[in-house]
Amino acid sequence: MKRILLACVVASCVLAGAGYAGVIVSTHSPVWAPWCLAMGANGAVMSLMALGASRRGTLAPALRWTFLGVFVLCAVSFGAALAMPANEGAAAPLLFGFPERTAILLYGVGVVPMFILPFAYALTFDASTLSADDLARVRAAHHALSPDERV
Amino acid sequence: MPSLLLQSALPALAQPTIVTVAVGYFLVVAAIAVWATRRMRSASDFFVAGAGVGLFTLAIAKTAATLSGFAFIGGPGLVYTIGIGAVMIILPGALTNSLGAWVLAKKMRLLGEVRGLMTVPDAIGARYRSRAAQGLSAVAILIAVVGYMATNLLALGLVIDAVFSTGLGAGIWMGAAIILAYSVAGGILAGLYTDVFQGSVMAAASLVVFGFAMKSGGGLGHISHTIMAADATYLGPWGTIGPMAAISYFFVFSMGSLGQPHVIHKFYMLRDPRQLKWYPVLMTIALAAMVLLYISVGLAVKALVVQGALPPLTSADHATPTFLLHYAPSMVAGLVFSGVIAAIMATVNSFISVGAAALTHDLPKAFGRPVTNELFVGRLTTVGLTVAAAAVAQVSGTLVAFLGIFGWGLFASTIVPALAIGLNWDGATRAGAIASIATGLVVTLLGETLRYFTVYSLPVGVTVSGLSLVASLLVFFAVSLLTRANAAQEIDSDIRVVMDA
Repeated sequence: MKRILLACVVASCVLAGAGYAGVIVSTHSPVWAPWCLAMGANGAVMSLMALGASRRGTLAPALRWTFLGVFVLCAVSFGAALAMPANEGAAAPLLFGFPERTAILLYGVGVVPMFILPFAYALTFDASTLSADDLARVRAAHHALSPDERV
Repeated sequence: MPSLLLQSALPALAQPTIVTVAVGYFLVVAAIAVWATRRMRSASDFFVAGAGVGLFTLAIAKTAATLSGFAFIGGPGLVYTIGIGAVMIILPGALTNSLGAWVLAKKMRLLGEVRGLMTVPDAIGARYRSRAAQGLSAVAILIAVVGYMATNLLALGLVIDAVFSTGLGAGIWMGAAIILAYSVAGGILAGLYTDVFQGSVMAAASLVVFGFAMKSGGGLGHISHTIMAADATYLGPWGTIGPMAAISYFFVFSMGSLGQPHVIHKFYMLRDPRQLKWYPVLMTIALAAMVLLYISVGLAVKALVVQGALPPLTSADHATPTFLLHYAPSMVAGLVFSGVIAAIMATVNSFISVGAAALTHDLPKAFGRPVTNELFVGRLTTVGLTVAAAAVAQVSGTLVAFLGIFGWGLFASTIVPALAIGLNWDGATRAGAIASIATGLVVTLLGETLRYFTVYSLPVGVTVSGLSLVASLLVFFAVSLLTRANAAQEIDSDIRVVMDA
């Protein structure tokens, strides 16, 4: 699992790099460059989050679905904002106070994840991040080291 | 990157109520500083508050240090100028607190536990068993810290001048003197507890002003329709800066959040690592409260200008002061300006701590000559750094603008790969870390210098910071993969225990 997540982080960074390279080497901004950067940035954040949450080579199933779900949500939000035709004129319909494309992006990337990720962290903390036993193990392992090894 | 803080004079704010609230604020800060000074005993107290801080204190202090005065002055001004594109700077806030929790919080806190570490370069040095990596990251931090501090002190001087009519020079030195007084005496301990007070002021101010902003514009829907009638692109998802520049902000401010030393070193300070459980929830609530002003004031002022209720602003930095002077009671204006002063002081105090630690602790350690009395030398370097930054702020406005621009990007590109990924991947190597830090330093400094002197700018508003971050990440992976033969042997056994925890 860790290798897959690491590969996702690397692939996402390459994708973001391709987006930057696209605008630097071409005389105009290619249509695909913002797509690369959006998906690369989203992928890098979510896969790095998953890499940090993985323990002993595995990722708890609840977290696996959480990260995948938030990644898809953000990807769809960015994708919709990039793909939908601009419709922000005077009579444009509003969604929760903003033009539709903007609302999808702001609420999809900036609001909904606020109600998912922090609670996923808290609810899986004992089982998947740091239990009292885990902490005791770290302290015991530290005390078991020789003074030289502790540095 | 936009300039993250104000650099032009604000409208005069010297009204009795505003001055009274601001004076009251300074008195509270002074009282907290005196209390914290009495509790300080050691270098550990001075730099990491003796690792004895509770979660609520940590969360509020980290949010206050993260946002700076940018959230209240520069940010609304940027929203007023470029529209929704500016929101992409704070949009990652929905993700970054959880990102930091999963990627860094536990590991940093446990590193503090097993090694007694105090700084971010400490962690990099320990992870790779490398004094070179520790020293190089300390150099990068020091360069960015001086620039950031100078920018913040200039902003503080401008606000103090606007509130107390002191003149800019006197405002800068007054602000520096107040921060110095509590930083030298109480170190990060005083900074933390003043941050809690300051963060609470910021959150309260933001919530109240959000209400006034919505009321002044007739609600969000009315504000949007008013603006869209005049400028269709302004409220589009990328504002007036286009998708590439806007998404570049998202990339830099999301991934880059893992490399801000004045924020992440606070993980060492938490009393009990198990308190981290509710860290992202608390941080997200605090951040959400504090950014309401950022969005609402920028949009409300734009709508009011479009309607003709306000004249067009002569400087984007005037968005918040102009709004408050026209549409909020002076008590609220006083609260907000105290919040601005609070935010800037919180950030400067954190930078002082990080910079002093780099000079006192990391660089001597990297050269194999650790300082014996770190508390005393830490206090001396605190004074030296602050005086140097204040002098830079006063002497050269354009230099300050230049220095302040690349701070976030320099932190991100030099620290994120080596620390955030390195602590989660045992295949990362010493060579990869050093190469990525060097890449971040060179690309950021070179790119920003070329841009500043108008020799070369990246197209379509793309930031140097984004390019340098992605370059340092790719170099980190490439060099680590090429030199991975001995990667596992480069990790000390106690660091391995922390990485596997």
